[in-house]
Amino acid sequence: MFFALTDEQRALAASVRELLADRFDLSAVRAVFTDPAADGHPPDLWKAIGEQGWLSVCVPVEHGGLGLGLLDAQVVAREFGAGVVPGPWAATVLAGEAVRRCGGPEQAATVLGPLGAGDLVATVALRGPGGGFGTDGVAVRADEAGHLHGVASGVEYAAIARLLVVAAEGGAGIGLYLVDGGAPGVVVEPRAGFDGTTRLAALTFTGAPATRLPGSDAAAFADLLRRGAVLAAADLVGVARVALGRTVAYDRERIQFGRPVGAFQALAHHLADLHVAVTMAEHAVLYAAHAIDTDAPDADLATAVAKSKANQAAGDATAAMIQYHGGTGYTWEHDTHFFYKRAKRLIGAFGDTREHHARVAHLTVGPVR
Amino acid sequence: MRLTTDGVDRVDLTYPPEAEEFRAELRAWLAASVPAAWTAPGFWGSLDEDAAFDLRRDWERGKALAGFGGIDWPVEYGGRGGTPAMAAIADEELVRARAPRSVNTLGLTFLAPTVMAVGTSAQKTEIIGPMLRNEVIWCQGFSEPDAGSDLAALRTHGERDGDVFVVNGQKVWTTFAGRGDRIFTLVRTEPGSSRHRGLSLLLVDMRAPGVEVRPIRQLSGVSEFGEVFFTDVRVPASACVGGLGNGWATAMLLLSFERGGSALGQYTAFRRAYDQIVDVARALGRDGDPVLRDRLAARLVELECLRYHALHVLTEVERGGDLGAASSVTKLQWSQAYQGLFETFDEVLGADVALTRPLADLDLTDLRRESFWTRSVTIWGGSSQVQRSIVAERVLGLPRGS
Repeated sequence: MFFALTDEQRALAASVRELLADRFDLSAVRAVFTDPAADGHPPDLWKAIGEQGWLSVCVPVEHGGLGLGLLDAQVVAREFGAGVVPGPWAATVLAGEAVRRCGGPEQAATVLGPLGAGDLVATVALRGPGGGFGTDGVAVRADEAGHLHGVASGVEYAAIARLLVVAAEGGAGIGLYLVDGGAPGVVVEPRAGFDGTTRLAALTFTGAPATRLPGSDAAAFADLLRRGAVLAAADLVGVARVALGRTVAYDRERIQFGRPVGAFQALAHHLADLHVAVTMAEHAVLYAAHAIDTDAPDADLATAVAKSKANQAAGDATAAMIQYHGGTGYTWEHDTHFFYKRAKRLIGAFGDTREHHARVAHLTVGPVR
Repeated sequence: MRLTTDGVDRVDLTYPPEAEEFRAELRAWLAASVPAAWTAPGFWGSLDEDAAFDLRRDWERGKALAGFGGIDWPVEYGGRGGTPAMAAIADEELVRARAPRSVNTLGLTFLAPTVMAVGTSAQKTEIIGPMLRNEVIWCQGFSEPDAGSDLAALRTHGERDGDVFVVNGQKVWTTFAGRGDRIFTLVRTEPGSSRHRGLSLLLVDMRAPGVEVRPIRQLSGVSEFGEVFFTDVRVPASACVGGLGNGWATAMLLLSFERGGSALGQYTAFRRAYDQIVDVARALGRDGDPVLRDRLAARLVELECLRYHALHVLTEVERGGDLGAASSVTKLQWSQAYQGLFETFDEVLGADVALTRPLADLDLTDLRRESFWTRSVTIWGGSSQVQRSIVAERVLGLPRGS
C-alpha cells in the first residue's frame, strides 16, 4: 500500500519548478500572453523541455524515452499548470501517447524518438465545433482512400504542429489518423481565445492524406480522451494550488481594519474549504493516473471523478484569487488572470463538469432508460 | 504493468499478503458470526434501544474473544499486533458484513491508546483488557453546556480532600451516558485555574454516588446522548491518566488518536448509502432525471475523493507520519460529503420526501434515520467551523482570527 508521490516524483516536480523559476517566470509568461499574434511557443523554453526529457516521460525506453507512465507525466503537467506555462507540451505528449498505444512499429520508431527529444511538435484534433469529447463530438470522416474530410475545433498549437493526430469516423468505425501538418487539404485557421498561455485553431480537412493508426478504435479513442482529461486535471490542480497559495500569502500581508484580511473568518474559512478541495483534487488526479497506467477496472470512473473535482477546485480557487486580491486582482497588470483564464480553458478541455458528471452517473446510476 | 526499473515505492493499492490473509480470515468469521436477520433493512430500528445496545455489546465482545479486537494494538495489551492497513481492512470488512457497530468507540479510539502511551502499569492492566472485552463501556466527558467548541472554558471542578477529588459539575453530549460503565472526563482540579491550566483527566465510575444521568432525545428521536451531572462525587486521585494538572496536554494527546483512523470504513458505508439512494431513485422512476443524475454524480465525486484521501492518510500513518492539523481536512471532507449525500437523498425523493414509505415495498426508515444523523456529523468531534479555523491557521498559516 503506497498512495503518494515518490521521492523521485517529488524531485521531478522540483526540477520543473526550479527550471521555470530560473528561466521562465511569470514575466516570461506575460510576454507570451500579451502577444496573441505570435505563435505562443518560446523556442528556448521548448529546447529546455526537450533537453530535460519532459517530453519523453511516456516514450518507451527503446525509443530513447524514460518509459514511465501517466503518473509521472501528471507530475510535469501539474508543475506546468502551477507555472501557467505556454507551449505545446501537453498536446505533443498526447499525440505521442496515441502513437505509442496504437501505432505500428515503424510509426513508433519515426515519431516517438524525435517527439521525445523535442524535435517534433505535435497535437491532437479530437472534436468538432460544438461537439463534446466522445465519438459523437467528432466531425471528421475518412473516405475509402483514407483521406480526411471535415472540421476539428479548439486544436492547440495547430499552426506550428508538424504532426496531427486526428480522430475521424472511418469505414471501420472511429479511429485515430496521422496527418502531416503541412499536408495538402489541411487548412489551419487561428481562433481567438482569452487564454494567452495557449494558441487555438480550427482545422478544415478537404481530402487530406492520412494514415490510420492500426491499433486505433473506439476504445483507443476513449483511452486517449481519458489521458487528456487526466493531464488537463493535473494542470488544473497545479493552477489551483498556486492560486490558493498566492492568495493566502497576499491575505496574510494585506491590512484592512487594522489587521491582515486573512484573519477574517469570511476569508479564512473559504480558503480552508479551498484547501480541502484542492487536496482532494490532487489525490483524485494521482489515483486516476495510476488507474489508467494499470488499466484498473475503475479507471473510467476515476478519470471522471478527477476531472470533475479538478474543474471545481481550480474554478473556485482562481475565482477566489481574484476576489481576495480585491481591486488589484481585477487588473491586467496582476497575474491573477493568467491563472483564472487558464483554468477556465482547461475546465472545458477533455470534458467539462457536466460531461464528466454524466459519465459518473452512467457508471454508478446506470444508463438513461 | 511495470512502469519503473526500481519497481518499488510507486503507487501500489494492493495490501501485503498477510493483510489479505487477515481479511479473508475476518471475512469468514463475520460470515459465520453476523446473523442474516441482523442485516435485514429495519432490523436495528425495530429493536428497543436497550436491547439493541446489549446485542451490540455482546457481539463485539465475542469479536474480541475471537481475536478480532484491537487489530493494530500491541499484543501485550491484548491486541492483535497488526498494521494500520489491517485496521483499515477490518473497518472495511465490518461495514461490508453489516456487522453491529461498536458500543465502545470512545474508549477504543481515544482512551486505550492514551493509557498505552502515558498510563501507569496498573491502569494498563485495569483498563485495556476489560475495555477490549466490553466488560467496561466507556463514556467521554469533555463537552459542557458552556464549553463546546471552546473546550478550555470547562468548569467541572474537583476539590482535593486527602487522596480523593470531590467532583462537581456537568457534562453534556455524552454518548451512551445512560449505558456506560465509566467515563474519562476533563476536570479542573486546581482551584482558581483558568483555561488550559489546572486540568486533569479523571476516570469516574458512572454508578458512583452523586453521578446522575439524564438522557437527551436527539432530533432523530433516539437517545444515544445524555447529560452527566456530578454532585460531590468522590474520585480517587490515583484515577487520573497523564498526571494531575496535566489534563490539557493529555486531552490533546487523546484527541490526536482520531487522526490515526483511516476513513476507508466510512467510505465503504457511505458508498453503500449512495447505492441505496440510487435504488430509491430507480424505484421511484427518477433515475433518468438529468438534474438528479448530475446531483448524484457530484456526491459520488466527493465520496471517491474521500476514498483516495483515506488511502493517502493510510500511507502517511504506515510511514509513521504525524498528520497533525491535516486531520481536520479529513474531518471536513468526510462529514460534508456524508451530509451532502443525504441532502441529495431528499432531492431524489422530491414530492415524496415526507414519506417514510412512499411505495408499499419501499421502506426508507433506515435511510431517513441516517439522514437525520448526518446533521450531527458536522458538529461533533470539532464542528466544521472549528475545523476550518484549524486548517486556516495551522495548515495555511493565516493569522489567528479575533
